[in-house]
Amino acid sequence: MFLYYFKLSWLSIKRTPMLSLLMVLAIGLGIGVSMTVLTVNYLMGQDPIPSKSSELYAVQLFSYGPGHENSNTDDNYAPQITYQDAMNIHESPVPLHKTRSVVTGATVIPATPDVNPWGEAIRAIDSDFFTMFKVPFLFGKAWDVSVDSAPENVVVIGKEINDKLFKGENSVGREINLDSIIYTIVGVVDDWNPSPRFYDLNNGKFTDSEVIYAPFSLVPVHDYVSWGNNWGWKTEEITSEEEKRRSEIFWNQYWVELPDSDSVEGYENWLTGYISEQQKLGRFQNERAAASLKDVLEWMTYSEVVSSDNSILVGLSFMFLAVCMINTIGLLLAKFLGRASEVGVRRALGASRSDIFKQHIVDVSLIGVTGGVLGLLLGQVGLLGVKSLYSNYDKLVHMDFTLVLIAISIALVSSVIAGLYPAWLICRTAPSIYLKTQ
Amino acid sequence: MLKMNNIKKVFRTDLVETHALRDFSLEVNEGEFVAITGPSGSGKTTFLNITGMLETFSGGTYHLDGKDVSKLSDSQRSRLRNEKIGFIFQGFNLIPDLNLFDNVDVPLRYRGFSAKERKIRIDDALERVGLSARKKHLPSQLSGGQQQRVAIARALAGSPRFLLADEPTGNLDSLMARQVMQLLEDINQQGTTIIMVTHDNELARRAHRNVHIVDGQVSDYKDLQPVLEMAEA
Repeated sequence: MFLYYFKLSWLSIKRTPMLSLLMVLAIGLGIGVSMTVLTVNYLMGQDPIPSKSSELYAVQLFSYGPGHENSNTDDNYAPQITYQDAMNIHESPVPLHKTRSVVTGATVIPATPDVNPWGEAIRAIDSDFFTMFKVPFLFGKAWDVSVDSAPENVVVIGKEINDKLFKGENSVGREINLDSIIYTIVGVVDDWNPSPRFYDLNNGKFTDSEVIYAPFSLVPVHDYVSWGNNWGWKTEEITSEEEKRRSEIFWNQYWVELPDSDSVEGYENWLTGYISEQQKLGRFQNERAAASLKDVLEWMTYSEVVSSDNSILVGLSFMFLAVCMINTIGLLLAKFLGRASEVGVRRALGASRSDIFKQHIVDVSLIGVTGGVLGLLLGQVGLLGVKSLYSNYDKLVHMDFTLVLIAISIALVSSVIAGLYPAWLICRTAPSIYLKTQ
Repeated sequence: MLKMNNIKKVFRTDLVETHALRDFSLEVNEGEFVAITGPSGSGKTTFLNITGMLETFSGGTYHLDGKDVSKLSDSQRSRLRNEKIGFIFQGFNLIPDLNLFDNVDVPLRYRGFSAKERKIRIDDALERVGLSARKKHLPSQLSGGQQQRVAIARALAGSPRFLLADEPTGNLDSLMARQVMQLLEDINQQGTTIIMVTHDNELARRAHRNVHIVDGQVSDYKDLQPVLEMAEA
């Protein structure tokens, strides 16, 4: 019977084109607006590394002095740690993988004169970074783990820069000039640009990943300057990068991979021990001194990747959808009651209330799905608008298959809900009344 | 086969209570052709609607083929209506955007017949009313008489035991009315019980039995021939 109801629905749309068009427009508009907002919200909050997000932890240390804290975070921790702490906790043998991380930068000086030099951000990290964050390699691999303690001028570059400098060829073993320092390329990363950029949410949640990766061990060697955000609580006179590295300024990130609860507990204990040790040395004098581990999703929530404003917007957009659906109810009543006589005839010919109800629900479903498709198109227009307004959201303004399914499902469910009352009303009335109207 | 005892039907509004049928009793046997006559507002259509289970009643009992209609659910009544009753309306009540084939198909769809059986039944029914060549036409492309024949084909397609006709010739000229009446008589002769509401005394006379309704009650359901003759005189 479904195909029969579908055929009747199509005939019904053809019979009342203006009413049907108005309903499709109302649903389409509601879906378009809500999907625009929902898409941005959904992609902002999606798990960027689902297979490992519960095993990767951002490490925070409450190393403020007495009377100091960070008033901008929920737990008053600083979102980054000091260089000296990054160096110290890197000694822990507990994590399966671990990486220090800081964003710096340099001028890329091409070997060929036809490409002009340009400034490029560099992510200074440990070799585990690539394994931990499942960074795919096009050519070569990460530098040897020994480089993490015995610095060498090696780098991993991204596909984009490899295309630019080496025309996409395998550049492993070739050299790159960064700030007049020659580095040997050991690997080329394939397309990898997680959004949000979860491994460093302090320096641009939705900015592109860097395309040059250098060993963290080179930070003191070449006095890498931080290109990211820095926080401090202590008045310190800093005149050099070396003094900054010894300071209490928070400018480094630290990530560990802890595959099970035992290793989490073990690492927490290790950090507690580290804090005690530092307290004996005169640091971590605040009574709240402690460590915090947050996995990827916790870290995203903590860093307000999806801000409360976005959630409010989603709520408002769904309220708008509700208004559109209320209008649709009125239009459906007009449409259904307009063909009440046909319903009377069908009842007289043997259709039960249930048959009539189902026929009208299929009718409204067809309109809903059509509205949903229109809503998807309008949503694309809305996303283009978002893209033109906020360049940071470039990577977020696309709908994947899941979102398309969500849009159609919302359109279908909301239109069926809107159609329940009109369908119920028309199937409840005595058919003889309709027959008299014929 | 169809038995109504003391049927009451009251229409209520906030201000008015209208008794459409009062202690209405009637029996119709298999194969009969019964004409229901009476003045406007006497309750003829209400009787027909109750007979076709399109309307509930306020009191009394109604048995159709031994089944107490008042005890049936909506879906059971719909099923019974679909299987046992065919309707013919004064205004034809064809669905305008369905062609003849699809119009006749409507009751068969709810019956759950296979596509093959539906096709056979539709072709047979349209053949019976002489319109098989026009099954792809829309109702608007037919004359009134042809439309009523399609409505009869639709009513017959499911092989019902009862045919309920509400002023089946009311919208037709006399020639077409006679053709439709002849068709109904043919159908009756093949075994289908027909209950026909009509204002037309000539048509009523052609039925086996006349039932005259006045103020919601049967005036005389045996033989109203003398009354009709008096009315004509």
